[in-house]
Amino acid sequence: MSEKEWAETLKRLREEHKETVARSQALLKEQQAKRKAIRKALEEGPRTVPEVADLTGFASHDVMWYVMAMKKFGLIEELEMDGEYYRYQLTQEKAK
Amino acid sequence: MVQEKIRVDTLVVGGGIAGMQSALDLADQGYQVALVERDPSIGGKMIQLSKVFPTLDCCSCITTPKMSAVAHHENIQLFTYCEIQAIEENDQGFVSNALQKPRYVDVDTCTGCRQCEYACPIDVPHPFDRYLGAHRAAYVPFSTAVPQKALIDMENCILCGKCQRGCPANSIDFTQKEQPFEIESRAIILATGFEITPPDAKKEYGAGQFHNVVDALVMERLLAPTGPYGHVLRPSDGKEPDSIAYVQCAGSRDKTLGVEYCSRVCCMYAIKQAMLISGALPLADITIYYMDIRTFGKGYDQFYQTAQAMGIEFVKGKVARINEDENQNPVVRVEMIDEGSKVVERMHDMVVLSVGMLPCYDPQPIFGVRSAEDGFVLTPSINMAPCVTEHPGIFVSGTAAGPMDIVDSIVLAGAASAEAAAYLEANDGNRRSVKSTTNAARVTAHA
Ligand SMILES: Cc1cc2nc3c(=O)[nH]c(=O)nc-3n(C[C@H](O)[C@H](O)[C@H](O)COP(=O)(O)OP(=O)(O)OC[C@H]3O[C@@H](n4cnc5c(N)ncnc54)[C@H](O)[C@@H]3O)c2cc1C
Ligand code: SF4
Ligand code: SF4
Repeated sequence: MSEKEWAETLKRLREEHKETVARSQALLKEQQAKRKAIRKALEEGPRTVPEVADLTGFASHDVMWYVMAMKKFGLIEELEMDGEYYRYQLTQEKAK
Repeated sequence: MVQEKIRVDTLVVGGGIAGMQSALDLADQGYQVALVERDPSIGGKMIQLSKVFPTLDCCSCITTPKMSAVAHHENIQLFTYCEIQAIEENDQGFVSNALQKPRYVDVDTCTGCRQCEYACPIDVPHPFDRYLGAHRAAYVPFSTAVPQKALIDMENCILCGKCQRGCPANSIDFTQKEQPFEIESRAIILATGFEITPPDAKKEYGAGQFHNVVDALVMERLLAPTGPYGHVLRPSDGKEPDSIAYVQCAGSRDKTLGVEYCSRVCCMYAIKQAMLISGALPLADITIYYMDIRTFGKGYDQFYQTAQAMGIEFVKGKVARINEDENQNPVVRVEMIDEGSKVVERMHDMVVLSVGMLPCYDPQPIFGVRSAEDGFVLTPSINMAPCVTEHPGIFVSGTAAGPMDIVDSIVLAGAASAEAAAYLEANDGNRRSVKSTTNAARVTAHA
C-alpha cells in the first residue's frame, strides 16, 4: 500500500470507528496531561510515588500505575530505595 | 490467510495447560489436532504464575517449552484469538464454525519486535498483569507469548498510524476483517479452564475497592520476575510491605456466594506465595488466616510444615471483615478460634484474598454439554470416567471439569486424550455407525 492509500484507509477507518476513536482520544489527552505532570515532578530530581502524588495532586495509586507504565516503556528508571519506597527518575539521555 | 475448511481428528477448545497437554498427547500418537484459543496467546493461567507448588519450579520455564511444542508440532494446527461459534453434527462427526478475530497485524511477516508498541501513544491496563501494568494499544501480549505476534486493541486505538510507521516489517494491516472458517473433527475436547472469584464478590472484604486488598493472581504477578513492578510493592503507593496477610477460602466454601465447594488449590498456593514472599522480603511478617489447611497431594503436607518452620504465622480464625485506615492499610477483623473466639483487629500493609476457582464457560448452548450443579462440565461417571461428558465424542480436560491443580489438570488431560483416541479408533474410518462404542457405552463399560 502506498503512503497515500494508507492515509486514506486510516481516514476511512477513523470515520467507521468514530465512537471508540473519540473515547480513546479523550483518554490519550488525559494520559498526556498526567504524564507531563509526573515528568515535571521528576525534573528536579528522583522521587518516590507518594512524593509525586503530593506534587501533582493525583491519587497515589494512579501515580503508581503511570510510573510503572512509563518505567516499562523506558521513560522512567528506578533507583535505590529511600526507606520503604523506591525512588524514580526520568531516564537520562544516554550518549549513543 | 485462514483456510475456509480444515479437517482434523480432534478439536481441542482452550489452550491452557490442560488443552495444550491433551493436544500434545493426541498429536504425539499421530492424530491430527486443531487447538482453538480465544486469547491472543496460549498458556492460560499457568503462564501468569510465578512459581509452582510443591517444587517451586519457575512457571515460565516449564510452561514456555510446552507452548512452543504446541506451536511447532506437525500434527497440531493452532488458532489463537479465535472462537467456536456453533457446531453441527453429522455422521462424520462435528462441523465447528470458528471465527478468527482480526489482529490487524499480518502474522506471517510480524517478527514480534515490539517497535509498534513503543511507537503507540496509548497506555492500556494489562489484563495479563491483572491491570497493574500497562500495554499499548498496539502490543505483543507478553514476553513469552505464543505466537510472539503483535495485535491491535481497537477498543483503545485512535487510528493515528504511528504503529504502522514504526513497524520495520510493514505488518500492520487495518483492513483485516473477522474470518469465519470450519473445523471438521470426529472428537472434541473441552479445556476451557476456570476463572477466579471476581474482586467485588465479597462486600465484607471491601468489594474490590481497597487498593491494598488484592487477589492471589495479583500476588503471582507481583512475585513473577516479569511482573508489573518487578518487586512486591503495594499497588496504592509503591511501599514495600512489612506485613502481609492471607485470607483463606475467600470465595470458596461460601454459601452466600453460591460456591459451596473447596477450590482445592488455595491453601497450597497461599503457602507457596508466603514462602516466596519471605524469600523476596526476608523481614516481612506473613500471616495466613485459615479455617482449615488442606494439603492433600504428594509432598504437599511437607510443604506446609516447611512453611511453618520458616516462621510463617498460621492463625486459625474467621475473617469477618476488612476495613481500611486513613493510610490505606487494610485492617482485618478476625475471630481467633484458638483464643476462645476472641474478636481482634489487626493491621497489615497488604491483604491477599485466596480467591476460589469458578467455572468460566458454559458449553451447553454451543456444544450441547450440560454443566453439573457447581457449574463445571458434567461428567456423569465421575469416579470411573472423569473426563467423559454426556455427549458422545465430547470430552473434558483440566479445570473445565472442576477445581484442580496443575498436576491433576495434566493427569486429566492425558486421560481425555486416551478417551478421545479410544473413541476415534472405535469409530474408525468415519463409519461411526459400524462400531458404535459411544461415550455412553464407555461409561457403562467402566461402571
Ligand atoms: C493464584 C493461583 C495460583 C496457583 N498456583 C498453582 C501452583 O503453584 N501449582 C499448581 O499446580 N496449580 C496452581 N494453580 C492452579 C492452576 O492455575 C490450574 O490448575 C491450571 O492453570 C488449570 O489449567 P487449565 O488449562 O485447566 O485452565 P486455564 O489455565 O484457565 O486455561 C483455559 C484456557 O482456555 C481458554 N478458553 C476459555 N474459554 C474458551 C473458549 N470458549 N474458546 C476458546 N478458548 C477458551 C482460556 O483463554 C485459557 O487460555 C493456581 C491457581 C491460582 C488461581
Ligand atoms: S507488527 Fe511490526 S513492529 Fe509490531 S511486533 Fe510485529 S513486526 Fe514488530
Ligand atoms: S494506530 Fe492505534 S495502535 Fe497504532 S499507534 Fe495509533 S493508537 Fe496505537
